[in-house]
Amino acid sequence: TMDKFRMIFQFLQSNQESFMNGICGIMALASAQMYSAFDFNCPCLPGYNAAYSAGILLAPPLVLFLLGLVMNNNVSMLAEEWKRPPGRRAKDPAVLRYMFCSMAQRALIAPVVWVAVTLLDGKCFLCAFCTAVPVTALGNGSLAPGLPAPELARLLARVPCPEIYDGDWLLAREVAVRYLRCISQALGWSFVLLTTLLAFVVRSVRPCFTQVAFLKSKYWSHYIDIERKLFDETCTEHAKAFAKVCIQQFFEAMNHDLELGHTHGTLAMAPASAAAPTPPDGAEEEREKLRGITDQGTMNRLLTSWHKCKPPLQLGREEPLLMGNGWAGGGPRPPRKEVATYFSKV
Amino acid sequence: MDKFRMLFQHFQSSSESVMNGICLLLAVVTVKLYSSFDFNCPCLARYNALYGLGLLLAPPLALFLCGLLANRQSVVMVEEWRRPAGHRRKDPGIIRYMCSSVLQRALAAPLVWILLALLDGKCFVCAFSNSVDPEKFLDFANMTPSQAIGWSVTLLLIIAAFLARCLRPCFDQTGFLQRRYWSNYVDLEQKLFDETCCEHARDFAHRCVLHFFASMQSELQARGLHRDNACRSPEPPAVPEPPEVLDSGSEKAHLRAISSREQMDHLLSTWYSRKPPLDLAASPGLCGGGLSHRAPTFALGTRLSQHTDV
Repeated sequence: TMDKFRMIFQFLQSNQESFMNGICGIMALASAQMYSAFDFNCPCLPGYNAAYSAGILLAPPLVLFLLGLVMNNNVSMLAEEWKRPPGRRAKDPAVLRYMFCSMAQRALIAPVVWVAVTLLDGKCFLCAFCTAVPVTALGNGSLAPGLPAPELARLLARVPCPEIYDGDWLLAREVAVRYLRCISQALGWSFVLLTTLLAFVVRSVRPCFTQVAFLKSKYWSHYIDIERKLFDETCTEHAKAFAKVCIQQFFEAMNHDLELGHTHGTLAMAPASAAAPTPPDGAEEEREKLRGITDQGTMNRLLTSWHKCKPPLQLGREEPLLMGNGWAGGGPRPPRKEVATYFSKV
Repeated sequence: MDKFRMLFQHFQSSSESVMNGICLLLAVVTVKLYSSFDFNCPCLARYNALYGLGLLLAPPLALFLCGLLANRQSVVMVEEWRRPAGHRRKDPGIIRYMCSSVLQRALAAPLVWILLALLDGKCFVCAFSNSVDPEKFLDFANMTPSQAIGWSVTLLLIIAAFLARCLRPCFDQTGFLQRRYWSNYVDLEQKLFDETCCEHARDFAHRCVLHFFASMQSELQARGLHRDNACRSPEPPAVPEPPEVLDSGSEKAHLRAISSREQMDHLLSTWYSRKPPLDLAASPGLCGGGLSHRAPTFALGTRLSQHTDV
């Protein structure tokens, strides 16, 4: 099964482009669906219209953006990498920036789609700006100056609500609605055009300037992700082995106690040493998996050290963990020879 | 498992069909977008023309940019265009080929939108309603020019595509085949490089984590020896051993002798600044500095030697 997982992993990684496109598409669809399922309900009151519309235009995108970040598993990885003490591995701000940018890009899709759909639909804009319609140009201009301003505002605020609109003598409702929706749709398409242009420029211009830095950041961000997962895996393996050995020892001790109890009364020839009846075959293997870390204090120290003092990105060094000082990044010995001696002992 | 491998290989080898699929998907999305868009002619003097023409032109532009964004090959093309020559000279023909294939696919969705708008007629009616003499106004008469234009444009495009397909073999077929091959190659090479980097990152991380555990172990044992007290673990303290290696042979191959951050960074910047030549038979010889002395362990890499001794 390891092979299969490795294959899936490779497939996803190599087709990351299509994978990401797929995720973006799904989030865009979800956002559009959410908007259509939402029941817009303009209050049609002078002060409240603008506040309601602004809320509908701005609050859900913020929530969607935060949701997009939260649902991304890599946010905790970014936070961890950002806040960890440098230890023996210097932090690279370029990698952090890359991780943040790629997460933010994906999280921005749903909010952008929401704003675009809201503007293209027009109800929100209509609700917000119905009191700002140029009555003199669109309706019976001669009657407008006679009205006091609050009365005019109250009248115009009812434009989005056909059931209660009572200003047809001043301004035909349909005219105002068409006018505002036309402007809203124009703004919507401009917004869409602007965001796609921006995305296109960012994507196309990047290879012209920072390609090497980009390759490095991409590699090291993958590395950090994989390393974290592998560390968790190794710790789980260790915990399993620890638990197994612990339980085995418990049973052995219990067995030994029982045998001792029996030999008190009889002349049994049970050996005095704490030999278990038949040590399980896997016992030695399990002990090896423990890698010498056999008690709680040591494991805690290991975990603390992993966070506080991450090992350098340098294989083949034999310096003990807590005795090294500073960044062990000095002149590297030719690693090929190191690797050869490393493996030959096995 | 085998089916999976086949699927994997299919995606690896025919990026063209993947791109065609994306192009088709975008066209379908365009149709859906057009049908769900609520056309709203303002019916006001100056606004009509602006609205009608704007709706005919702005969405296609946005869809064109989306088509460029969704196509992976556009980024590959720009990378190929902007890279330093290194050991591999650049062929403008390949770049032109990639550019034209990317543009063709990106133009599909905008054309769908424009055709739909023309065939539907509403845009036209809205934009040019001002210039119609009210006495000659007939609903029928207004829709027909728009639909006529729409149908003629469609017909023209189909004929043009047909001619382009049929007549292309008459002109420079071998050049075309070469360019198509090498543009496909560039795309695949980039994908495989990314994949190899991921594989390497995985093995590097694995070694790093095991190394960490082993350092802890050897430090413990060193302390045990120093303090000289009865060991808690049942077995006698062993000489500090290298960490157990699960699969030393293949892991070593995967790591390809890169085992530090500096080496990896150097490898990545060399990949960009000095792409290897397209010549697998050239012997991996010495190259000024860098990774030359590790070259023989590279499964894929080649290095241009100062003097070819093939």
